Amino acid sequence: MMNGKEYIESLRRYRPIIYFMGKRIESVADSPVLAPHVNAAAMTYELAHDPKYEEVMTATSHLTGEKINRFTHIHQSTGDLVKKVRMMRLLGRKTGSCFQRCVGLDALCALYITTYDIDRKYGTEYHERFKEYLIYVQKNDLMAAGAMTDVKGDRSLRPHQQADPDMYVRVVERREDGIVVRGAKAHITGAVNSHEIIVLPTRAMGEKDRDYAVAFAVPVDAEGVLMIFGRQTNDMRRLDGDIDCGNAKYGTVGGEALIIFNDVFVPWERVFMCGEYDFASELVETFATYHRQNYGGCKVGVADVLIGASAAIAEYNGVENASHIVDKLTEMVHLAETCWCCSLACSYEGFKTPSGAYMPNLLLANVTKLNITRFPYEWSRLAQDIVGGIVATTPSELDYRNPETRELIEKYLKGKADFPTEHRIRMIRLIENLSIGAELPESMHGAGSPAAQKIMIARRANLEMKKEEAKRIAGILPDEDYLRIRGEKRE
Amino acid sequence: MRIGVKYCGGCNPDYRREEVEEVLRKHFKIFYSEDAEILVLINGCRKACLLEEVKHPRFSVVDSQLSEEEIVSKVEKAMKKLLEG
Repeated sequence: MMNGKEYIESLRRYRPIIYFMGKRIESVADSPVLAPHVNAAAMTYELAHDPKYEEVMTATSHLTGEKINRFTHIHQSTGDLVKKVRMMRLLGRKTGSCFQRCVGLDALCALYITTYDIDRKYGTEYHERFKEYLIYVQKNDLMAAGAMTDVKGDRSLRPHQQADPDMYVRVVERREDGIVVRGAKAHITGAVNSHEIIVLPTRAMGEKDRDYAVAFAVPVDAEGVLMIFGRQTNDMRRLDGDIDCGNAKYGTVGGEALIIFNDVFVPWERVFMCGEYDFASELVETFATYHRQNYGGCKVGVADVLIGASAAIAEYNGVENASHIVDKLTEMVHLAETCWCCSLACSYEGFKTPSGAYMPNLLLANVTKLNITRFPYEWSRLAQDIVGGIVATTPSELDYRNPETRELIEKYLKGKADFPTEHRIRMIRLIENLSIGAELPESMHGAGSPAAQKIMIARRANLEMKKEEAKRIAGILPDEDYLRIRGEKRE
Repeated sequence: MRIGVKYCGGCNPDYRREEVEEVLRKHFKIFYSEDAEILVLINGCRKACLLEEVKHPRFSVVDSQLSEEEIVSKVEKAMKKLLEG
């Protein structure tokens, strides 16, 4: 297993093509713009070596028996599922950000299950092939970006109906030694600082979409792969110093790229689905379930930081004992812990799949994520309420560092006498980072938008069963238990 | 051959578990007992809680809605395995 420093060094072995703000990023490990995202991902490596955290950060490979980073582990029990979300919360709290590595983990787990199921139906050899790849990932402790979301073009049309056939990643050539793929994947978290990209289809497919039913893995610097790193709110503040961005070390949630596959060759040993359109839906649903499971872990870890920041700023302002502040902080805790309950519940209620891997309860995982499309907005609103309007008006770090204005800022932005002005400014900026930046839209759309969760919840709502119970209680259907309790006989 | 039936607690089943028992009664003589050659575990959902608790050496698991043929085939398979030793 690599530690954090070794992970950052390992990025030097790759030469991905990445553009940002009109220029090419030559070295991911040395880019100041990417540094906070790299540091956040490095935390997933570093804590695996810390005896205080290794219980959740590591696992034993079911394939090799070796100790591995949990981010490369296939869940072998509901206990593993629970440890996964504990790991998410820990890392959210440690970074106050997105540590990006969960997407690749979820892609690995989803492929483990679906390749097994494809092979059972078609007699193919995807599962054995995938296991070999998994061992490679585990042994080298690689970070994989999970690339699912296609650019989609006209959303009313299926992949094969698009005016431009490249709106979904597709196979353009099948060769004896592999396939050639073309298309693009959007909003791919952690892609620029990963070692591998794992591509999955993004939706259910029909027979005519056969070429789009493709799953594979390539190194980030495979020939033909090009990435364009996305802008984030206030992203350039990190170049101005370490105060204004609020979380200088670990950045703002996410760090996403548009990945373009410009006729990329993929050897067969890295192809895990090719044309089995009837399994695209299963693969998407399995991945989505794993990924939605996470959000009551990682976002709650980040909420821990925001709640702490809100409590600290209340102290700096001298209002920590005001009843409305105590009430708001309590409300934030309630909202965050409700989401945590959801992540734990869907994990404890997980089940064993035919492949032997465990996956979370589908209904509860979707409930988890649907709450996350709402509750972070509310706990962010409460944080903004507590911190005050200054969250949107604080002078810059450059003015704070300027000798002509520093003393004025020191004097007039002072809160309670016990606390330095700089601490107050830093805490305000952290709250700004966590409640105004990319965190909120990421909560909304990461792992799928609310409508996607509603579809899954509706499918599993089991309304017929609920109606039957209502009819029994209302006296429309017989109630055998009641009759026995009362010693009566059914007429 | 004694075929036992054991239900999970039924806290939030995905389907009507009693339908499994109804099918079993049509085709086999069944008992509410673990003292049986084959034990059919009727779980209300894929969590399949009974798997964590039951120690019976020969069991057959139902954890989602199945057709009559599928239920019968599951039990017959277990019976065949038992007879073959």
